Amino acid sequence: MTIFSRRRIAVAAALSTALLAASACSGGADTEGGQTAGNEISVMAHLFGTAPDPNGEMQQAVEKLIGKKLKITWVPNAEYGDKTNVVLASDNIPDVMVVNEKSPGFVKAAEAGAFWDLTGKLDKYPNLKPANEQTAKNAQTNGKTYGIYRVRPLLRSGIVIRKDWLAKLGLKEPQTVEELYAVAKAFTEKDPDGNGKKDTYGLIIPKWPGNYASASPYDVIETWFGAPNGWGERDGKLVPGFDTPEFLEANRWLRKWVTEGLINPDFATLDTANWNDPFVQGKGGMIIDVNVRATQLLDMFKEKSPKDFDKVTLVGNLKRADGQKFSYPFTGYHSVMAISKQRIRTEEQLDDLLKTLDKLQSKEGSILLTNGIEGRNFKVEGEYAVPINQDDPKVKAIQNDVDKAFIQLGTRASVGLGAYKLKPNDEASRAMREKFDVLMNEDLKTAVFNPALSIIAPTSVAKGQTLDTIVPDARIKYLSGTITEEQLKAQIKRWYDGGGTDIVKEVNDLAAKAGG
Amino acid sequence: MATDLVPEVAQPAADSPRPAAPPKGRRRTRTVARDLLRYRWLYLLLLPGLVYFALFKYLPMYGLTIAFKDYVPFLGYSGSEWVGLKHFQELFTGPDFGRLMFNTLLLALLTIVFVFPAPIVVALLLNELRINVLKRSVQSLVYIPHFLSWTIVASLTYLLFSVDFGVIANWIHGVVGGQKTDYVAQADWFRPLIVLQLLWKQTGWGTIIYLAALAGVDSQLYEAARVDGAGRWRQFWHITLPAIRPTIVVMAILTSGNLMDSGFEQIWLMTTSLNRDVADVFDTFVYYIGITQGSFSYATAVGLFKGVVGVVLIFGSNFLAKRLDQRGLF
Repeated sequence: MTIFSRRRIAVAAALSTALLAASACSGGADTEGGQTAGNEISVMAHLFGTAPDPNGEMQQAVEKLIGKKLKITWVPNAEYGDKTNVVLASDNIPDVMVVNEKSPGFVKAAEAGAFWDLTGKLDKYPNLKPANEQTAKNAQTNGKTYGIYRVRPLLRSGIVIRKDWLAKLGLKEPQTVEELYAVAKAFTEKDPDGNGKKDTYGLIIPKWPGNYASASPYDVIETWFGAPNGWGERDGKLVPGFDTPEFLEANRWLRKWVTEGLINPDFATLDTANWNDPFVQGKGGMIIDVNVRATQLLDMFKEKSPKDFDKVTLVGNLKRADGQKFSYPFTGYHSVMAISKQRIRTEEQLDDLLKTLDKLQSKEGSILLTNGIEGRNFKVEGEYAVPINQDDPKVKAIQNDVDKAFIQLGTRASVGLGAYKLKPNDEASRAMREKFDVLMNEDLKTAVFNPALSIIAPTSVAKGQTLDTIVPDARIKYLSGTITEEQLKAQIKRWYDGGGTDIVKEVNDLAAKAGG
Repeated sequence: MATDLVPEVAQPAADSPRPAAPPKGRRRTRTVARDLLRYRWLYLLLLPGLVYFALFKYLPMYGLTIAFKDYVPFLGYSGSEWVGLKHFQELFTGPDFGRLMFNTLLLALLTIVFVFPAPIVVALLLNELRINVLKRSVQSLVYIPHFLSWTIVASLTYLLFSVDFGVIANWIHGVVGGQKTDYVAQADWFRPLIVLQLLWKQTGWGTIIYLAALAGVDSQLYEAARVDGAGRWRQFWHITLPAIRPTIVVMAILTSGNLMDSGFEQIWLMTTSLNRDVADVFDTFVYYIGITQGSFSYATAVGLFKGVVGVVLIFGSNFLAKRLDQRGLF
């Protein structure tokens, strides 16, 4: 069943009024000022569950640590992008805003001076200083650092596979794309669930919400075939990944999967919120996504049958037919914390705020944001944090506030930098977690990075709205058999004609300026 | 139909000063000021409504100026640069305009042909029902879908028509055979599904106004007609239909103003990568470029254009209605 986010619709439906009202009520730069950043910091961040109580124990603990009051706007993850643009259009930008620094709305606002340029300013603060140079570069916007990046593992792509199905059909874990095809074929045709009916498929793909090069299963597979990750160098020039023979080859291969019924037939419409369902229901046997989906699925199987749940295995990136391997890396971060110039007016105020943030990202702060309050909701056992008192509703509230909300305020916490690891519930989860690191280190050797990640072409800011959907839409249409390969190529040409030619030129110029 | 209710105001206190008697001996020309003074309590009643419209409907129109600027929120209205008609030019010459216009107008046309007459037909049929209990219950039943949100309607559509588990899709497949059809994903099925959804959701609600009009028909007319020997068909043709004609005309004029409104939620929920070419309409386009892409100026320009077309249509159809010897809306 497809479920839509009603809140998101609400935001969307309010659109015409929102656009007008938000801007009408805003005086922009004319009316701002007067306030100084005093003892209260306003923040906007992602939320994955119910919003924490502003007077709750967790918020009080954080406020005590930093010595300031917090006013946090928690925005559900699904509507975060929309809300960001609405907030940017108002005159009420919070002091600290977790934001996708590549989104056109933010780029425009930042270039107009709405946010502090933090380039070279973070080194003074030990806990805000970038830990990884590559990631720091990825998080830049045309050579400028507009925010403190929130660390994520640099490589998280993998394939989650039904372990029991593999065993039943006597198959090995796939290492190459050809073996993957063989597994998918067997999962579809050899009745892996043993019910005597041909009612399963190999791979489950949902309707992808992002655009091209947004870590979709398609992007990962294309990379395996040697296509660039977003942008790549061909004959000394940067070209978009979809304009390469490898891109076409990968999709030709994947189209065969669709024709042979190896992928769920509703892949163009299945909602991402329901991605796990066919897997747990035993309809499909593989998911290509971030590795943490493996532990998620493991937990779901455990919920179903606590005794017999070890049904999931994780495989890393695959070799293509000629034995060469290309792995799909992530950016190493997810959104940055940008600081608004609206209320933080002077360098002194900025320094004060950065000092506070530095305190928040210290070891003590990381533990608080990632694990919670020691002795209240967890205790330390060696290198692990072990949940305690979870039956107490008050403690449960703390745990929820940490997991669903406050962890988002950590720039280093989510990967455990400075905080405790969560003790896995069972042996299977522990083994799976350990596998993450092994696979990551192995695949990082063959990771294909996007050389144009920090570059924002002006044309794509101006015309992104009409260009961004062309290629991903055409890709889905091609895969589903609605258009031919010739028509797919024609759509790629349409991208070039509609402004893509300018984008390629700008990206190359900017890359040359940035020194390669 | 949305109605803007004028908020209630407190009754003036009983001891408030009475209106001063009109000064005698002066010329009897009625001045506006005198009228205002004489009917001041009535005008006072009007005031909250005026304030409401000024505040929430007219003041925000100032925001429309950003359609002529390169609006950057941080710089504000005065700080953003004027760019004249750049955004309109971009819209009219852009690659999307033709497609958006076509999709919007085609959906509007389908709505006029299939959705607009449906409540009239249903109301007339209900009116002919003699058993009152049956009439009432059918009436109530057809209202219900109106109260469901588009989210639910879209989810239901997916449940019934998607290729993997769609009940109706599988049933049709069982009857017709052949290749399974993915109704919710295929571009060809987008418009039929939209029309079906509209019919299912809005028809019952739309009947209310026609049933009200029908209830107002003088029963003596029917009696007289029966005495003259008119059958049910004759009665329908010469009494019922003319009786609701003005209502139909008013509804048609009102609808024409909304022709460019394709219903954002419904379309947006039904859009997929496979049907985007036929699904993109001005409403979803404004959302897409304004909210998700942050191009406020461009989005406002598109919205303004849509609004202007709506105004032209409403005046046009009103003019047409008057020409055709009907009472117009204004």
